[in-house]
Amino acid sequence: MKRNPLTILVSAVLAAIFIMLLFVFQVRQSEVALKTLFDKPNATYDKPGAYFKWPWPIEKVYKFDKRIQNFEDKFSQGYTTDNNNVITTTYIGWHISDAGLFFPKFSGSVHIAQNTLEDILRNAQNGVIGQHRLGDLVNTDPKALKFEQIEDEIKQRVQSQLEAHNYGIEVDFLGFKKIELPEAVTQSVFERMKQERQLLISKETYDGLRDATIIKAEADRQASELVANAQASAIRIKGEGEAAAAPTLKTFEQNPDLYIFLLRIDALKQSLGQRATLIFDDRTPPFDLFQSQALKTPGNP
Amino acid sequence: MERNTQKNGLVNLVVGLIIFIAALAATVYVKSFTAQVAVIFLGLSVLVALMGWFQMRLEENERLEKLELDELAHGRGDSTLFAARDSEVFPARRSREQFEKYFVPGFSVLLLVFESAAAWIMWRWAGQPLSGFVPEHSMPALSLFAIFALVLFLVGRFSVTMVRLENSRLLRGSSSFLLAGAYVCMFTAVVIAGVEFKLAWADLWGARILCLLLALIAVEQLLTLLLEIYRPRIKGKIGRPLYDGRLVGLLAQPESLFTTAAQALDYQFGFKVSETWFYQLLQKNLLLLLLVQLAVLALSTCFVFVSPGEEAVLEHFGKRLPDPLLPGAHLKLPWPWDIAYHYQTERIQSLYVGFTPTEGKESRVILWSVPHDQEENFLVGGSQQTGVEKLEGDTNSIVKTPAVGLISVSIPVQYQITNVIDWAYYNSDPTNVLSEVASEQVVRFLAGEDLNQIMSAGRFEGGNYLRDQIQAAADERHLGAKITFVGLQDIHPPTKVAKDYESVIGARQTRLASNLLAQAEAVITNDTAVALAFSTNSAAESAKVQLETSAFARAALFTNQIPAFAAAPSVYKQRIYYQAFAQSTADARKYLLLVTNTHNVLIYNLEESIRSDLLLNNLKVPTPNETKP
Repeated sequence: MKRNPLTILVSAVLAAIFIMLLFVFQVRQSEVALKTLFDKPNATYDKPGAYFKWPWPIEKVYKFDKRIQNFEDKFSQGYTTDNNNVITTTYIGWHISDAGLFFPKFSGSVHIAQNTLEDILRNAQNGVIGQHRLGDLVNTDPKALKFEQIEDEIKQRVQSQLEAHNYGIEVDFLGFKKIELPEAVTQSVFERMKQERQLLISKETYDGLRDATIIKAEADRQASELVANAQASAIRIKGEGEAAAAPTLKTFEQNPDLYIFLLRIDALKQSLGQRATLIFDDRTPPFDLFQSQALKTPGNP
Repeated sequence: MERNTQKNGLVNLVVGLIIFIAALAATVYVKSFTAQVAVIFLGLSVLVALMGWFQMRLEENERLEKLELDELAHGRGDSTLFAARDSEVFPARRSREQFEKYFVPGFSVLLLVFESAAAWIMWRWAGQPLSGFVPEHSMPALSLFAIFALVLFLVGRFSVTMVRLENSRLLRGSSSFLLAGAYVCMFTAVVIAGVEFKLAWADLWGARILCLLLALIAVEQLLTLLLEIYRPRIKGKIGRPLYDGRLVGLLAQPESLFTTAAQALDYQFGFKVSETWFYQLLQKNLLLLLLVQLAVLALSTCFVFVSPGEEAVLEHFGKRLPDPLLPGAHLKLPWPWDIAYHYQTERIQSLYVGFTPTEGKESRVILWSVPHDQEENFLVGGSQQTGVEKLEGDTNSIVKTPAVGLISVSIPVQYQITNVIDWAYYNSDPTNVLSEVASEQVVRFLAGEDLNQIMSAGRFEGGNYLRDQIQAAADERHLGAKITFVGLQDIHPPTKVAKDYESVIGARQTRLASNLLAQAEAVITNDTAVALAFSTNSAAESAKVQLETSAFARAALFTNQIPAFAAAPSVYKQRIYYQAFAQSTADARKYLLLVTNTHNVLIYNLEESIRSDLLLNNLKVPTPNETKP
């Protein structure tokens, strides 16, 4: 059977490529590689480039990202030294410092490493928080706030644990991503915040009432004072009028009866208004004319 | 020839089985979805090869049986032997017929169920968000699948050629499946290569494509089974085995499409288009054309085009070049020797702290009391302190716990990649690190701030402070990013207490209103008092003037009245009296009682309205007789 040379060529090229892939491996700038000979680690490559290896299963190459990995742990509830509950979540940046140590410890799995690190982190986190007060985490007084110190303490604890047991990883940074209160406490904080606002509402309402009352009372006082002063002034002015008119009294003294009579006449005039109703009998002058003989004409009885 | 076919069938079965087991191991090793579906496909090919080989064995037995009987009959010349029933005389043929009648359809139905179930289950599984793909194992797995593809291709190709030469219908199914399996393995290798080059979605979509292929094969199998029921049975005409799918055959031998296409073109144009030089050239050099295309594709990887606003980092055998590539065209070695990674360095990028933007559901109005986006609450300091009595050892001490509050913040953080080398090589996920750094700084900042302060006067200052802090933290972590903006525009009490905050503002306005109302009333009171005081003074002044002037006028009048009075004292007095009486009573209502008896005094209360019986109509004037005792 005649074989197509093109098919053979393609097959050869493909075979060459795949054989090359079996014998050569590449390490990226961001990677560190561990080569094993029959599953026994025998070389670490942390410089980028292409390297030779015997094909699988003789030699195997495990490549790891040597850059800083980061993850955040689960929300976990802690208890402060002043008996407060806080829920925190922390993020952590770490990198593989020794691939030879890292590989057997975590089967070369970043995921397993992160799970392990998460347990260590949570333990350190809750331990450190337990040694601090809530005021060290939340405080308007900058001197009392120990946020950074707490983070450093957690980081040191994690790092010392990793170093003590040669995990082959190092912690680069660590920080609180979130600090919260438990749900029940959160509701209480909401309630307290509401009551704070209620206090302000009451204060505003009753302060307003007080201010309005003060303003009105002050106005009433001022008005009364003003009117009283005006009335006093009026009396004084009237007195001045009396004093000014006093010299004329000597004139009336010439005939007091006549003057008194005239005063009575004036009083009569002033006291009779339009709505006055007068009842007279026929003896009252000038109505006595009705019974006077003067009205009787001659011839009439 | 027949024996060769059977041997090929056995080779197909053995190779298929070995490759299936090896692929299964490789799949467990790399945990790829696509590889899992590929293994199912390889499993199908093993089943089909087994069935084909078994059927070949039966046919071979039948052929041998027939030869044996022919020789016997020819040697003895006795026909009585052939008078017996077929089932007794030809047990092998009977077995083959029974096998084709019952077992092959049953097997085809099972194959259909298996294909359908596999397509359905794998499609559902591939839809799960988490992939268990082990990137560290991708290169060995890629090599293995490529080798599987090569082996299957060589064996399958040989087998297909044998089928064409010997016209073996039972070998066709396993050969097609083997060749199709080669393409499936190659496809899997390409998918794994895609994942190796950071195309994480490739595995999922690769698996889905293979699931669709499985589903199509199942549909074709179903149609074949249905059509088999109505297929006319012509004696002596041997049908195609039910498990030998046409779709798999087409997939394995796409060149058969040329035959079909050539026939269609010949029919359409009315002459032998398939015999033209162009068609012949195309048919002969198709593989070459594909290779040229591959070469062009490989050549295209020798150029890297960096778009405006981008920078690229070039890695040569994994080692990065010291300087990033700036916008423009650059030459490089072909993939996989040189690989370029592109980054958007000019673009302002955003991340959000404290909320998750709800795309497409943005409200035109953002209010404290109406939930918008998905906001989180942050702990914030309070100026008050709550006293908590606490025993510390043997001493009683009062520990003051600061009052904490909660606040909702929506803080956009905008940034720009300024150092692409730092951005790419210090952190595996720099965007996530920046997001976490920003969150930490926001938490830390709010924890030390007073709720009311940060919501009002401290907002601008807070934004600038946060930007500086996030920048410092990002520099410390070698992120290579510049923080261009941190906004505190949406910072407010949590929605649950927002109404109470608004109520305080309402109460403050009410207070101002009542204050203003009181002031208005005070103005009225004061002005009225001023007016009253003025009028009182004015009245007094006028009374004074009146008193003075009238006193002097009256004195002057009186001086003149004295001589008149002296002249006629009684007349003058009477005149004055009557003049005054007439003048003053002119407008008054008057009742005159003309009675003689004046001892009866009638007293009327005339302050109010006049009683009707006092009116003139009803008032009876007493007569003198009546008044007499």
